[in-house]
Amino acid sequence: MAVLHRAITTLGMALGLLSTTASAAQTGTNPADAACLICHSPAAMPQLSGIGRTKHGVAADGRTPSCVSCHGPSQAHASGNGKADLSYSKKSKTDVATRNAACLSCHQSGTRIGWQSSAHGMQDVSCASCHTVHAGKDPVRDKKTQTDTCLSCHKEQRSQIRKPSHHPITEGKMACSSCHDVHSDNPKQLIKSSTNDTCFTCHMEKRGPFVHNHQPVSEDCGICHQPHGTTVSGLLKSRSPFLCQECHDLTGHPSQPGGLPVQRPTSGSVTGSAGTYARGCLNCHTNIHGGNSTLNDATAGRFRR
Amino acid sequence: MMNSLNSTGRFTALSAILVSAIGTVALAEDTPTSTPDSSITFGVASWSVARTQQGMFDGMRDHDTYGLLDLDLNKRNSTTGTWFTLKAQNLGQDHREIRIDALRQGSIGGFLEYTRTPYDSPFTIRTGLQGFGTSRQIVNGTATPTNPIDHSLGTVRDMIHAGFYKTLSPSLELKVDIKSEEKTGTRAYGYGSAALFLTEPINSTTRQLETAIQYTGTNLQLSGGYYGSWFDQDNGGMITATTGTSATATYLSQPLSNQAHQLFVDGGYSFTPSSRATFKVSYTHATQDEHLPVWDVQHLTGVPSSLDGEINTTLVQLGFSARPLPKLSITAQARYHDMNDDTPVRQYVDTATDVWNTPQSFTKTSGKVEATYRLPKNYSLIGGVEYYTQDRSVPSIGDLYVPFRSRLDEMTYKIQLRRSLSDTVNGSIAYLYSDRTGSPMTESDEGNPQNQLNPINSADRTRDKVRGSVNWDPTERYSLQFLVERARDNYKPNSNPYGLTRGDFWLFSVDSTYAVNDTWNLTGWYSYEHMRSRQKELRSGNVPNDIHLGEITNAFGLGVRGKVTAKLSLGADVEQSRSDSRYKQSPASFTATFRPLPEVTNRLTRYKVFGICDLDKNMSLRLDLGYERWHTDDWTWEFANGTPYIYGTTTDGTTFLVDPDQNSVYVAAQFTCTF
Repeated sequence: MAVLHRAITTLGMALGLLSTTASAAQTGTNPADAACLICHSPAAMPQLSGIGRTKHGVAADGRTPSCVSCHGPSQAHASGNGKADLSYSKKSKTDVATRNAACLSCHQSGTRIGWQSSAHGMQDVSCASCHTVHAGKDPVRDKKTQTDTCLSCHKEQRSQIRKPSHHPITEGKMACSSCHDVHSDNPKQLIKSSTNDTCFTCHMEKRGPFVHNHQPVSEDCGICHQPHGTTVSGLLKSRSPFLCQECHDLTGHPSQPGGLPVQRPTSGSVTGSAGTYARGCLNCHTNIHGGNSTLNDATAGRFRR
Repeated sequence: MMNSLNSTGRFTALSAILVSAIGTVALAEDTPTSTPDSSITFGVASWSVARTQQGMFDGMRDHDTYGLLDLDLNKRNSTTGTWFTLKAQNLGQDHREIRIDALRQGSIGGFLEYTRTPYDSPFTIRTGLQGFGTSRQIVNGTATPTNPIDHSLGTVRDMIHAGFYKTLSPSLELKVDIKSEEKTGTRAYGYGSAALFLTEPINSTTRQLETAIQYTGTNLQLSGGYYGSWFDQDNGGMITATTGTSATATYLSQPLSNQAHQLFVDGGYSFTPSSRATFKVSYTHATQDEHLPVWDVQHLTGVPSSLDGEINTTLVQLGFSARPLPKLSITAQARYHDMNDDTPVRQYVDTATDVWNTPQSFTKTSGKVEATYRLPKNYSLIGGVEYYTQDRSVPSIGDLYVPFRSRLDEMTYKIQLRRSLSDTVNGSIAYLYSDRTGSPMTESDEGNPQNQLNPINSADRTRDKVRGSVNWDPTERYSLQFLVERARDNYKPNSNPYGLTRGDFWLFSVDSTYAVNDTWNLTGWYSYEHMRSRQKELRSGNVPNDIHLGEITNAFGLGVRGKVTAKLSLGADVEQSRSDSRYKQSPASFTATFRPLPEVTNRLTRYKVFGICDLDKNMSLRLDLGYERWHTDDWTWEFANGTPYIYGTTTDGTTFLVDPDQNSVYVAAQFTCTF
């Protein structure tokens, strides 16, 4: 009797599931999700259904995961006893390596090859800390909303990008991912293997080499510039003449104090007082990133030609 | 028994019907919600007053009315996994962009994108300069230009970006990515031999091509390919400038076309689910061998007409991560980055000061190990050490202008305690210490005090950094986040008292979110940042200048979002950021006609309210009202008496006009159709 009872119940469930599976095939939904969708239906949990609108929700692509692929078989959960095997919410008790392994089982390629050695990987940041997989549109993958995610942890940059001299991040023309590849193990998680190579992707005129190279320019743009934002024009860390005086101190005009003439001089040289206003030292040393002059004149080697 | 069987049978049949019905209904309801939606947003916006500072990049700097048009069109065939998407933003405005994607998941795909990025300088340039923005410029020859003209500076970047991928096999994929960007415009520039105003004409093209084959296996992943980049200078490479009626010209060189070609291979292999090795190898050959335009004007006899510039860069990086014990994880990395400037050295200047070209080579080597040990109660203890060296090429000939170090060594130690996976309190506290030393300094040819200065990028330095953060969720509806960060650099004076001696940084921030109920929530944040530095100079006459620089930034934001009715949502934000910079120096540096630098305050405040009304299932109306206040007392373009700075003494007369207070009201109305 018990065997017959179980057989009938099983047959009923199978019929029901076959029906939903057939419907799933018609709608393109992964048939393996059918059991989960009985409780986690879009009507009951609309916040989860957005995944159907993403590439994760296309069953025609054989690589597409099912609910079980990411959340585990979760047999106990299906029986009403406890949570899913793998959960990704803020309060999840699943350790981060296990959570990330689910994502990395498909997404370990390309720039994510070095994830485990990356700064975020080493700090136990989970993929779900930044990515909203169930949303129809993942905010971190949109240039206009990406910074909200990054700035939730990176507070220093939140005030820097609002300073008067900044890259167009708050205007939506650039995002953190324009310069940073947070999945990779490059230094500072930059898109290229060095600071300079990253900057050159947009500022290639600074690459040179030049006839007259400026040593800190060749070494690292970050010696003089703070790319997230500053109060000094040109994203400089410090104003002229102070910035230049961190390397240059000669008796004569290079060691001039930072100051302003009371009014316009009407004669004579302004070299000894022009190191602060307007473009500062760059009023004369205008090719500060490097010069290509061949003039037989010592000024050629001092970025003034 | 028959009754039991019948009951079971009826129940089972009912269950089967219910499961079938619910499942089918659930999935039938899935169909509309699992279809990517599309939207078109159109409307108008207006700013009441010109906002040249905040409108530098957003194409809305003028007192004007702007059309708004955004498209987000998505079409997907679920049966074939084919997508067609079109996304466009700010169409009709200066900062427009549009992207079209077409792909078949797991098979083939491509995209084409156009982006326009304007930059409009916030200043108005009032000048008598002739040839503004060209390669031939004439500076006004009198103290004040007779008929000055107002100009603007700025640039426009127009970029075309295309990409393509093809899945060659389940584990092999080909990717191609091409970018071409034209940059045009004008930038502020200098005369070189005098502090006079010129413009730098910008007309260049930057192109990048990246192609890679990616192999993705169960344990092994590889990515190898080519990255090429080209910079093309399209404005001749030289500016010729004269003053007034003088025939004596100043020739200013420009950046010249250059290119780089890189081959790369990246890979990773997972020995076990918890142990993995990675590697990166690349080689880059970069050249700049253009004809030097200034050579045609003048050159030292025998000097070739091109630099024959060549830089070859090698990168080798190895990484390893493992979990040798259930509670212990280890990560290690070794990196070798060698940038070798192989440009031939030639004498370019033969005067009282002889000048050779200055190739710069760097070899950067680093190794780091970090271990994480998991303690009870969700705590982890992390410790790490990193060793970094930099070998720098020493100029073999020519004058050294700055004390030089051929080698740097830096050790960094890190310890961190972290708590995660807790329901209420998570956070971490970390301490880093690094110590930089190196080879003895090679003295410059400039004598003292130059040889008594510690160059910032090579001086001995110790660095301490403490960072603590706490995320506290006392209830389901309320969360708080605290962050404190403190960093300090000490540039050990040794026997060199001049240059940067100390840098200090403090950051404190607090963030809070409160869900009042299911439809309303509040957010707030505040951050305080304080930066200080101290440096010393020795001026003519052995007059020391002790320089204390500092900047304090206070910023806060408040926001509210909520649904008033089922069809009406409201929101409001207020945000302010204020920075105060100071420049304290030794009083002996100043006179009655040369004054010390006042503090600079920059303040930006924004108020925004918006409402979204669902007119029907597929259409909504959004109204925005905003108020923006910008204030600065930056003196960069002023004399000490507050009058605008004027270029030159007896010539030029160019002024930069700055609007220090910009208050503007923003009004916008947008319809969004969703389908």
